[in-house]
Amino acid sequence: MTTEIREENNSLIAVFKGRLDTAAAVQTTKDVEPLMNAEGKDVVLDCTELEYISSSGLRIFISILKSVKAQGGKVNVKNINDEIRKVFLMTGFDKLFTIQ
Amino acid sequence: MENAIFLGLSVQAWYLIAVTIGMFYTLTRTHVPAEVAFLGVVTLYLAGGLVNVHDVVSGLGSEAVVVSGAFFIMQASLNLTGVSYWLSQHWLGSPKSYRQAIVKLMTPVALLSAMMGGENVVSMFTDTVKQWARKLGISHAKLLIPLSYAATFGGMCTLLGQSSNLVIAGLYAEQTGTSLNLLAPLVPGVVCTVVGMLMMLLQQRFLPEREAPELSFEDISDYTVELLVPTDNPAVMMKVADTGLKNVRGGSLIEIVRFDKEVISPVDDDEFIFGGDRLIYSGQINELLKLKQTHGLVAADHHIYSINEIDSNRKLRTAYVNFGSDLIGTSMSHNKFEKRNDMTLVAVARQGKRVDEQPREVKLEAGDTLLLECPQKADRDLQTTLKRTLTFFDSQYVPQLGPRTIWTSVVLVAIFVLSSFNVLPLLTVTMLAAGALIMMRCCRMDSITKYIDWNYLLLLGSLVVFSIAITKTGIMTPVADWVLRVCKENPYIIIIVMSIMASLVSEVFSNIAAGAVFFPLVYQQAMILGCNPLPFVIALMTSVTISYCTPIGSTTIMQIYGPGGFKFTDFWRIGIWMHLALLLVNLITIFIVFPMY
Repeated sequence: MTTEIREENNSLIAVFKGRLDTAAAVQTTKDVEPLMNAEGKDVVLDCTELEYISSSGLRIFISILKSVKAQGGKVNVKNINDEIRKVFLMTGFDKLFTIQ
Repeated sequence: MENAIFLGLSVQAWYLIAVTIGMFYTLTRTHVPAEVAFLGVVTLYLAGGLVNVHDVVSGLGSEAVVVSGAFFIMQASLNLTGVSYWLSQHWLGSPKSYRQAIVKLMTPVALLSAMMGGENVVSMFTDTVKQWARKLGISHAKLLIPLSYAATFGGMCTLLGQSSNLVIAGLYAEQTGTSLNLLAPLVPGVVCTVVGMLMMLLQQRFLPEREAPELSFEDISDYTVELLVPTDNPAVMMKVADTGLKNVRGGSLIEIVRFDKEVISPVDDDEFIFGGDRLIYSGQINELLKLKQTHGLVAADHHIYSINEIDSNRKLRTAYVNFGSDLIGTSMSHNKFEKRNDMTLVAVARQGKRVDEQPREVKLEAGDTLLLECPQKADRDLQTTLKRTLTFFDSQYVPQLGPRTIWTSVVLVAIFVLSSFNVLPLLTVTMLAAGALIMMRCCRMDSITKYIDWNYLLLLGSLVVFSIAITKTGIMTPVADWVLRVCKENPYIIIIVMSIMASLVSEVFSNIAAGAVFFPLVYQQAMILGCNPLPFVIALMTSVTISYCTPIGSTTIMQIYGPGGFKFTDFWRIGIWMHLALLLVNLITIFIVFPMY
């Protein structure tokens, strides 16, 4: 599982690759720390190459959302696969995030 | 090859031993139902040439099977027309002491069991006795054991009283071509009933006190309840501390189980609630269940997106897991029971205590009490469909009493009169009675097949074939010879030894199986000694019923085990003395009543 963060057009883009399961969640939490200090910038969570997300992964997503929102930014989730879409529908995440 | 002898036994005898060991291994280590295991054994016996097609057909269609089938119709009529209900409601009265309560309970139960079968009587009296115990201020356990034992005593008196009696009588008819009279075991049965009741009065202080398991859901303040968060719940994405879901009235949240089975325990205030979370609470069950109304949680076996998907008319019911239930050893999250029956497990109790696990992950055991959320409708259908798996505590069926109640009673009495005076054979009488009850619409003609427990009949039939195979292979001959030698060919000592062995075996296996296994042995011994086979057969019939120490050997104890919230060892202290005393008086009576030559 890898996480890359880059800045584009005044937005922070996090690119997730692999399986964000419970084991990977500890490292991913450290990797996304820059997003917690986005200072009002919008954040895009690019899930094009994210194969699976566990509840620990969702907890990271919601922490990012709460932090970015508190600083006046928005969070968009991009290109989730069908499995992850099902998880979003079940947990109610589809209503919180703008999914592109 | 068939005639080859190895270690004193024929190849066929060794084949029978191997198949039988395989069957017992399958029965103890797997969830294969007994009737399927025995039918498999019959098939292997047939394939191995131990029995022929005629043996199998005559076994599966034997007198025991047909009489039991017709008896199911009679039992259904007794229940549907309200005879059972009326008897259970009107025969108990208001005794002045516990001693009197035991007598008032055991007398009619023993009498009815002789006529209607002990199992049927226990099932119709269990709920009534529990209510009666509450009214009298006596622990229900102190009356349920006398109920169960009285049913067994009464069942010893007639062929219809115990399934094992019918099986042994059927095997006797198969061997001799003569049917036994319905009242053949009456005298030893009555003596055992009287002595058994006296023993119960003497040992009354050893009867255990137990809490009614279904009341444990109301009384115990430390219970585990599992509730699901629907996707549209307002608490979704909020922190636990902000939702008011952590410390609730009557209990607290001890665990969150996420959609991917991740378990969060202990639950921090900062933890988020997700849709699909299963919240595990510990506390007072009635208060915790109010979370369904106050916080929009639901009891569900599958994911729920909106609380509107749940039928608000569903109701909570308590049931216990039967012995031999296919739920034993499984957990609700891994079997398909909930989905198949549109039910959801909310909580589990074991001997009236909390099971310290997520309810739907608990590996169920016989006697466990389950709190289930069930559909509002189809109460009786559920009970009928699940009768081998679960028994519901709160049967709400109250039959209408009327002329058919009287007709059914008349038919029941007529069976006894006609059969006892040898006017007609038992098989003919029971079939005529079943036919008459159907014609008089005492049971529904279009539901006849539902009343009959086909699995049970299959088991009975297979056991008869099993017994025929034992006889034909001669496997019991060396055992019979050995017993004859050891007992110096004294028929009295042989009957005593065989009765002790049969009653011990029936404590750990079923009495029907013990009867089927021992019949060829005792019959052969009687034949070798040139004795009257009747004392041997009647001694076997009554001995296999004498099993009071464990719930396994007696169906009537199995029936009260769950509703009574008993421990497996509860029956040992009182049962062992009962076992010894009844065995003794039974043998003395048989020796006096039945001529040996």
